[in-house]
Amino acid sequence: MPDYKPISLVLILLGLFGSSISILLGFIWVPGIDPESVQQGSAESYRILFWHVSFAWCSFLAFLMLFVGSVLWYLKNDEFGWRLFSTGSDMGLLFGFGVITSGPIWGSVAWGKPWDWGDLRLNSFALLTAVAIFLVLSRKSQPDTTQTRDTLSIIGLFGFFLVPITAVATTLYNRRHPPIIIIEGEDTGLPDEWLMVLIFSFVSFGLMFIGISLLNDMVNQLESKTEKYQRIIDRGED
Amino acid sequence: MDEPLLLELEGLVVSRENRSVLNDINFKLKEGEVVALVGPNGSGKTTFIESCTGIIPFTEGNLSYYSKLNEKTIIRNKDGRNSNIPQIGLTLQNDGICGEETVEEKLLTVLNMVDEGENSHLIDSILSDWGLYHRKSNRVSQLSGGLKRRLSVLSGLCPAIFSLHPIVVLLDEPSEGLDDEACNILTNWIRTIASRGNGIIFTSHDSDLIKCADRIIKLEENKPITESSGKSSGAIVTMVESELVARQVSINSLINWTIKMELRNPIDTINRLTPALVALFISFSLIGNINYETIDNQIISLLILLPAFITCIISPALISRFSEADCGKWWYINLGTKFRPISSFIGASLLLPLPLTYLSWIILIGDKSELYSNEVLTWLWLPALCMLDLAIASSALHFLVSDLQRSQASSASLLMIFLVWPFLELSEALSSIMVNGMSFSLELGSPLISCLFASLISSLVWLVAVFLPDT
Repeated sequence: MPDYKPISLVLILLGLFGSSISILLGFIWVPGIDPESVQQGSAESYRILFWHVSFAWCSFLAFLMLFVGSVLWYLKNDEFGWRLFSTGSDMGLLFGFGVITSGPIWGSVAWGKPWDWGDLRLNSFALLTAVAIFLVLSRKSQPDTTQTRDTLSIIGLFGFFLVPITAVATTLYNRRHPPIIIIEGEDTGLPDEWLMVLIFSFVSFGLMFIGISLLNDMVNQLESKTEKYQRIIDRGED
Repeated sequence: MDEPLLLELEGLVVSRENRSVLNDINFKLKEGEVVALVGPNGSGKTTFIESCTGIIPFTEGNLSYYSKLNEKTIIRNKDGRNSNIPQIGLTLQNDGICGEETVEEKLLTVLNMVDEGENSHLIDSILSDWGLYHRKSNRVSQLSGGLKRRLSVLSGLCPAIFSLHPIVVLLDEPSEGLDDEACNILTNWIRTIASRGNGIIFTSHDSDLIKCADRIIKLEENKPITESSGKSSGAIVTMVESELVARQVSINSLINWTIKMELRNPIDTINRLTPALVALFISFSLIGNINYETIDNQIISLLILLPAFITCIISPALISRFSEADCGKWWYINLGTKFRPISSFIGASLLLPLPLTYLSWIILIGDKSELYSNEVLTWLWLPALCMLDLAIASSALHFLVSDLQRSQASSASLLMIFLVWPFLELSEALSSIMVNGMSFSLELGSPLISCLFASLISSLVWLVAVFLPDT
């Protein structure tokens, strides 16, 4: 098993540094928003967006890993699939939690309320994060058997099947939100500064995502290896 | 001439926790044969028995049963379950009996007799033979461990007594907990049932019981199985015979069983009703003195449907009944792929949502109903009825989670978030009825379309939770 620890730690530190810089740039460099268009709270709170969007993109990658892993395990009992599933659920929980905590801060500014049951994206992420919490807790609390993996991979597939349907339903349920107005921005799109900080933030979060994923996978593999040796000792074999 | 085959395992490999418990097992069971599985603890004896029932996943290999016309049906292979097993006799290591059942009910369920009255004398005779007659009306929870084991073993043997054609009988540690007298009865019954052509596989550490086997298979971890001949000892005893065919355990048996258990101890109803009523009265306290005209109708409709929603998402008591002494495993083995869908229906809260929704309306709205459309009471049943879909989906989710070995350590409530959206759609429908009255338009946002979406999402959850695990 390759030792990913040094490279993982470097990536995580780079990611943490980059994400800190991105929020700093968000405060000192990019244009603000019109306080009149803010529905509730401080106009400065909108700057959480520079983390919120990156959290959301990384969560999407994590849930994609989770679904691919679920499919691979469910269809083929593929060990690599289970590794993807395990890492995807851990990362989904971490980054999904980031989305649903930063989302309400943005929501308060933009919609005047921290949570909107009509917002498709926020609710989808909440649902998927709940699934990730369930999967992470269950993986830790259940014996690692084929049956456990089968059941958990089916629950992992739930989002895969249900999100498109619930997406349609919630889109229909959706109400239009009044837009916020960016100072110095053009009507046609985001100012360049916004876009650059968003991309910089996403790259930083991406590095952190890769670093934590590698480290997580290594820990999971080591745990599995330890269990294997413990069982050999249980059986009194050399 | 060789006796016809009843069951066959070909190249069976079963893995648990990343190790092979059974490795390349090839086994055939013939009519009239008694096979003992022996070996140290953890050698895979119970896994062997469970493999013969088709409920555990195979890494490699096939499980096949043969019909009386000697037609071979593959029940399970490494890709999953292909077919349900035919009728078998089964005694699980953990008894597989719910404590609420009476002794007589358990046997009647096993036999699934057409006419209970006509055949009760046969059951009485069997119970007398096993020293259980005086306990026939007692609940299983009132029996001692030894008597409970007798009943469990008897339940495994009975289908073979009443079957007109030879069947497979699987007994996992049948002599465990039995006294010498009961062990002697067991030995003789095994030989008698085998003499009628039935094939019997049992696991045991009991050297006296093992002597009654024709063939002894020794399982040892990481070693190939070894076979030796048994002594086939034991007497043929007089045993009741029935001209009635003991049928495959049917869906009706499970429905009747569930209703009986709930009527005897209505924990499902109480567990669902209590939090729903608490929620209703808290809602009443909160909004009782508020001017209704100032509250968003969506909030009112949510509060009206909330008690019904709460009853729907609570874990069914059927799950705890099934988890008692592996009772659910017994039903699952006997009902096969029908078990999961039917359990999700009968485990769901089907009776409470409708009356609770009307009660909620009466308590929360009461004399303020003139503020809303006068069609509400006429159409309140519509969202309440759609709530039944949600209840069935919730029940299916709970059953899916109960598949986990330590399901009590899992937070199934997290998955109930899937059902918040159908609930919101239904409250949207009720809100629309309250404000605009019933509309039959098929526009987006109309009550009918909202209810349809709610049912659609619930049905999808149900389909995924019920059909993926068994495919």
